[in-house]
Amino acid sequence: MTFNIFHQRREYTKMAKFNLPQNSKIEVGKYYKDKTNSKNLRKVNVYRWDPSTGKNPRIDTFEVDMKNCGPKVLDILIKIKNEIDPSLTFRRSCAHGVCGSCAMNIDGINGLACIKSHTDISGDLNIYPLPHLKVVKDLIGDLTTLYKQYESIQPWLKVDQTGKEKIELKQSQKEREKLDGYYECILCACCSTACPSYWWNGDKYLGPAVLLQAYRWINDSRDGDKKERLKKVADELKLYRCHTIMNCTNSCPKGLNPAKAIGSIKKMLATS
Amino acid sequence: MQKKNNPLSPHLQIYKWQISSLLSITHRIVGVINIFAILIICIWCISLLLGENYYQFIQIYLNSIYGKFLVISLCWTFSFHILNEIRHLFWDAGIGFELRIAKLTGIFVFIGSFIFTILFYLTGKSFF
Repeated sequence: MTFNIFHQRREYTKMAKFNLPQNSKIEVGKYYKDKTNSKNLRKVNVYRWDPSTGKNPRIDTFEVDMKNCGPKVLDILIKIKNEIDPSLTFRRSCAHGVCGSCAMNIDGINGLACIKSHTDISGDLNIYPLPHLKVVKDLIGDLTTLYKQYESIQPWLKVDQTGKEKIELKQSQKEREKLDGYYECILCACCSTACPSYWWNGDKYLGPAVLLQAYRWINDSRDGDKKERLKKVADELKLYRCHTIMNCTNSCPKGLNPAKAIGSIKKMLATS
Repeated sequence: MQKKNNPLSPHLQIYKWQISSLLSITHRIVGVINIFAILIICIWCISLLLGENYYQFIQIYLNSIYGKFLVISLCWTFSFHILNEIRHLFWDAGIGFELRIAKLTGIFVFIGSFIFTILFYLTGKSFF
């Protein structure tokens, strides 16, 4: 009994940690003045943290010449890296919103830098890494937990076939349509890291991205393990930490609806 | 790779509030307030049992400016919680998850809670 109370108190103090820990407090960083004498300048504030210095993270401000810059936020970042500070670190790959590498917090909302237009944002541009992650360097967050959680839902087709059958596994057009809005997910983690529930319970709660994927496999007509999948996900912490805050749907760069996927799982569990 | 001393990226500090997230946290806070509100209503009921003097005491308090402010605020907390809970009920049935609809119902709940408050207050006034 005593242990139980103690345990609960520990949970409480963990939950109430709304402030950043001491080593994560953000300091004012360098100011890079424009050297091109351009008249069309824009201030870009970028979160920086260098693991080799042992100092706290800082915000660097860059004055960027917008006259010779592409339309997306990623263009700005690449321009800074090429022309102002080559040590700026961020992930990017396809630049077309397909790979999900350049997910970051732009102007307070998570999104992909490669498809977010900076012209849509008024005032100074603020760029941070995805929220509530361990920072690896500058704009790169550590997504190991999320990938482990993704693995835990077993995101592959489980069939009753032995492999010796000579018939394909057929899926009608209607059954295939059920996966629309779910199979498009690129696992950029914008939704999961936008979710306050995931911030406070990220180690136990699966988060919108993984639950959307779980629903995608539950909903697949070819999958033979639907009941087991539902059973596995039906957990007070894994699933029901979702309180329909809907930050996930608000931030999804692909326009998908993780909140609806989670709602559908809850509904399935309530009606089955 | 050592991850222990790596900083935590900012979260609440930088994330922009959405209509949905604001309503969600308000729903929680208002829910807690409502528990205490029910306590006040219970005390009011008990004062009825205890006799005229006790009832008079609470009556005077509730009719003061502070009391009126309290009562009207509680009217709002209850109406907000009820309306938003209806929204949650529809979500439980799988309806209204689309971003536009969720935003619309959110605004509707917020405006509706004030309309309900006024209605509560006016019906209370005409009764007593």
